[in-house]
Amino acid sequence: MSGPLGLSLAPQIRASRSLYKFFLPIAQSYANIAGYRRMGLKYDDLLVEERPDVQKALSRLDKRESYDRVFRLKTAFQYSILHHDLPKDKWLKESDDKRYLTPVIEEVAQEDSERLAWDTMKVEAK
Amino acid sequence: MLAAAARRSGVRVPLKRSFATATDVAGLKVATLNNGQPTASISLIVKAGSRFESKPGVAHALKNFAFKNTSDKSSLRIVREAELFGGVLSSTLGREHLALTAEFLPGDEAYFAELLSSLATSTKFTTHELNESVTSAVHAESLAALSSPAAHAVELAHTIAFRRGLGRPLFASPHSSITAEDVKSFAATAFSQGNIAVLGTGIDGNVLTKLVEKYFTGLASSTTSSASASQYFGGETRIDAPGAPTIFIGYGTTSPAPTLAVLASLLDPTPSLKWTTGTSPLAALPEGATAQVVHLPYTDAALFGVVVQAQTVDGVKEAGKAVVQALKNVASGSVKDEEVKKAIAKAKFAAASTIESRDGLLTAFAPQLLANTGTTLDALFTSFDKVSASAFSQATSELIKSKPTYVSIGEAHSMPFADELGL
Repeated sequence: MSGPLGLSLAPQIRASRSLYKFFLPIAQSYANIAGYRRMGLKYDDLLVEERPDVQKALSRLDKRESYDRVFRLKTAFQYSILHHDLPKDKWLKESDDKRYLTPVIEEVAQEDSERLAWDTMKVEAK
Repeated sequence: MLAAAARRSGVRVPLKRSFATATDVAGLKVATLNNGQPTASISLIVKAGSRFESKPGVAHALKNFAFKNTSDKSSLRIVREAELFGGVLSSTLGREHLALTAEFLPGDEAYFAELLSSLATSTKFTTHELNESVTSAVHAESLAALSSPAAHAVELAHTIAFRRGLGRPLFASPHSSITAEDVKSFAATAFSQGNIAVLGTGIDGNVLTKLVEKYFTGLASSTTSSASASQYFGGETRIDAPGAPTIFIGYGTTSPAPTLAVLASLLDPTPSLKWTTGTSPLAALPEGATAQVVHLPYTDAALFGVVVQAQTVDGVKEAGKAVVQALKNVASGSVKDEEVKKAIAKAKFAAASTIESRDGLLTAFAPQLLANTGTTLDALFTSFDKVSASAFSQATSELIKSKPTYVSIGEAHSMPFADELGL
């Protein structure tokens, strides 16, 4: 449940059809109110990146994706300084708000936990 | 007489047992060699050497992609499990074949057979592994290998001698731009039924056959990789580099014959007794110069040559002249009958002692196993015995009639040119 991405109940909610249906409009309006899309950012641009596993995941993005990420962040910084939102036609569309980084972070976290498991294993003679 | 007979029978018994004929199991050629060794090994011999590569350097990358993440095991898990079994995993790349080898204690063969099959069928070839570990390993290996002028000379000699095919560099250049997709598509053609042979040592033939039947069913049955027939060109190249002045004087042939191995052992200056100079024609080189005989047989060609190194450019020039003169002497038929006999005996011993080690066995039998032309050591010995002094000098004179392959590495402004050595 917890990991580099923080605590999340999303998997449990997604598992139940009725809960998912109930939370979907709330989640969508939350994402719109949060305002990161008005800055042209994707949700995964907001993840805490000051940790080794996320850094490793960032290094695994392909060239195009990491260029786009830096471009979005620079644009957002600039508009934040100006206290403006992006022009409305440049807001991030909901369909473009893809989780491009989360699967990679999960993969790195999985590798780390596997290494921990091997490092602390106990060998039992059969 | 009695001693000779005893010695002969002592030699014959292991020879007969040494070679199992290859059988076809699940579309693969499987051979085992069980001399009751205390450890066992299984090797996948794959037609994926630099000769068959689709893009320069891709074979070298594939070699370093061995034992990386597969769909059922992560690379960490492969390493840690192999450690728990006390096994050793290795991959070796040649110009024609890639060998993935697992060495282990007898009894653990099921685990390692399954591991090798998953390498061949389900390695993931991810981009991050290429960037994080494979490319750095490839570069380090290339750098380490080519930092030796002798190894660099042999590498360049292949390129000059055969240009394409066998002439392709074994080590990826630091400038090669290999992507994970390139390696994946190369592996997809390489790891198919017709391209793989399984060689087991220290393991019972029936056991290995059963394991191959059980685990190696998921291989693609596409056509076997083929390269165009080798052609010998020859030529000269000069590289300006620091380090000991080094030259390679050699010849290639597209019809490898046992006479080449005999020539190699005739010229080989390594003495049979330590601290002596030996009786080879190359034993009396100028002070400080060393010569190393290189004989590299391939399926349809062979490269023969001498790597000469010295402290100074003058020294390497003198030694080079001596080597060329020695080759000419052999070709002119001035080698005595007993010297040829001696060289034959030495060649036989070299051939027999090579296959004692696992690496030697792999290099000696990989081509035969895949081409399905089983040659036993007995047959090899017979072919050596057939070499007569006259046939030997004739074969040598024909060899040196072709255009020489000459490589010089050192201070290019003063290193000798091929014609200055009498080539």
